[in-house]
Amino acid sequence: MSRTAASAGQPNYRLIRYVLLAFLVIWLVFTLFPLYFAVITALKPVEEINRMVPTFWPETFRIDNFSGIFADPGSLKSLIDSIIIASANTALSLVLGTLAGYALARYLRGALGENLAFFILSQRMFPPVAILIPIFFLFDATPWGTDSYITLILLYLVFNMPLATWLMMVFFRDAPKELEEAAYLDGYTPLRAFFKVTLPLVVPGMISVAMLCWIFAWNEYLFANLLTGTTVKTFPVHIPTFVAGSQTLWNFVMAFSLVAMLPPVILFIILRRYMVRGLSLGVVKG
Amino acid sequence: MVGIPILVIVLIVIYPTIWMFYHAFHDTNMMSLFRQDWQPVGFQNFEAVLTSERFRNSLWHLAIYLTFGACLQVVLGTILALILYESVKTGWMRVVLLIIMVLPMMLPPSITGILWRFLLQASNGAVNHILLNVGILEGTERIDWFSVDLSLWSLVIADTWQWTALPLLIVFSGRVSLPPAVYEAAKVDGASGYQVMRRLTLPMLREIIAIAFILRFMDAYKFVDKVYVMTSGGPAQSSELPVYIAFQTGIREFQVGLAAGYAIIIFVGAALIITLFLQYLKRVMRNAGVVD
Repeated sequence: MSRTAASAGQPNYRLIRYVLLAFLVIWLVFTLFPLYFAVITALKPVEEINRMVPTFWPETFRIDNFSGIFADPGSLKSLIDSIIIASANTALSLVLGTLAGYALARYLRGALGENLAFFILSQRMFPPVAILIPIFFLFDATPWGTDSYITLILLYLVFNMPLATWLMMVFFRDAPKELEEAAYLDGYTPLRAFFKVTLPLVVPGMISVAMLCWIFAWNEYLFANLLTGTTVKTFPVHIPTFVAGSQTLWNFVMAFSLVAMLPPVILFIILRRYMVRGLSLGVVKG
Repeated sequence: MVGIPILVIVLIVIYPTIWMFYHAFHDTNMMSLFRQDWQPVGFQNFEAVLTSERFRNSLWHLAIYLTFGACLQVVLGTILALILYESVKTGWMRVVLLIIMVLPMMLPPSITGILWRFLLQASNGAVNHILLNVGILEGTERIDWFSVDLSLWSLVIADTWQWTALPLLIVFSGRVSLPPAVYEAAKVDGASGYQVMRRLTLPMLREIIAIAFILRFMDAYKFVDKVYVMTSGGPAQSSELPVYIAFQTGIREFQVGLAAGYAIIIFVGAALIITLFLQYLKRVMRNAGVVD
């Protein structure tokens, strides 16, 4: 009885398997096509892009588009600005997050500490639009004004610091407490025990946090577009400026986007395992 | 040590929120802000927001966007992750396919918006010409992806292209970490593929899928980058989300009081959803051993 049911189901399963595989392939095509088109657009001359019928393989290759984008001195500067802001913000988020995460994991294990941790985490989920206007006035009143590195470095703490604090708390909780206690018995001061024993244990976690913070800061557009733009200009703000008259220079836009996409992609390929843990707030071990 | 992050949050989040609360009850605009002179207006701003058709439409857009953007992405991501796990057994192939599928997530959201605006151009956009080549469109027929009917859907497409990778990545890693012993037992008992999926895999992944959903939902709720670069909420406000209106009234039209009204309503909405989610998150995190 059960055997007939199973054998009757057999061809059905094969069909389902093919349907599922086909779905996976379709999704891969859907994912890759826009990226493929961005690549070939970055290699075309403007005239070819502006034709009424787009070409799906470049007739003329213009590899010099990639050097062409840097003819505008603003391009290189925008990448450097982005690197400065993302790196400084990451460093700051990591330091603050590590300290706070350690305190939450070791000293504040009660209900108060837990509520505090969830409160900090909830800050990451709030829509930043709700605070845009006062943020503008807040930074306008500071001596450095809105259009400066410090503005964005501090502002990106809004979303990066809660994440860093939460994740570092998770990683410190995972680190065995016994080693630290053993260090105390050996006469280590709390500070020395922290730096010599506990901190090395959470280095993988710190890599994960640093990478996520860096990518989020690197990709941010809204705050950068509204608050900065003259002295400081990050690359997402710079990209829409590739225009000639009313015409968008799509080849430059795409070439520059691809260049800007490289750091996050490389980070992801190398540090994939660390990333999943961070993205799932520490739940999935990756 | 926790003090410093709390201080930072108070300074750059709590203080601005209080500021917005205050101005939500005043008739503040650009002029009055510079003259430091504004009048209390009671609940007028909230009334204006809640009775405006623009806001009600945007709530409808948000509902569509959250259903087809966020929810669909989690469903798609879960399905794709499980297909990838079940049907691709070679280690390096899995990694390569996973990296390919996660690529869109690495692109800045604003640039994703620009890229899709380019692909969906009506006259010489790549998407319309593919549809022409496969025969769905004919002759001079073109789909206007940024028309009143479709612009919200164009946003959904671009967003799905980018963010399906997040649930995919999370669920895939979750599936990898499930204990193989359970599956061997099921195999010995002669469970069918469907039964294993239905009775084992999905229940064991439930909390992980829920986390992916919560993360996507909250991101989608505050989503504004792509609206800004792809459609600017248009045409005729057909792709406006509440967050975008708040942004537009505050930053472009500088009706600070009204924008604060929007912001506070959005804020309260977010607070309600977050509280709800946090209750669940606490449970999940306890089960996963992340907190006590």
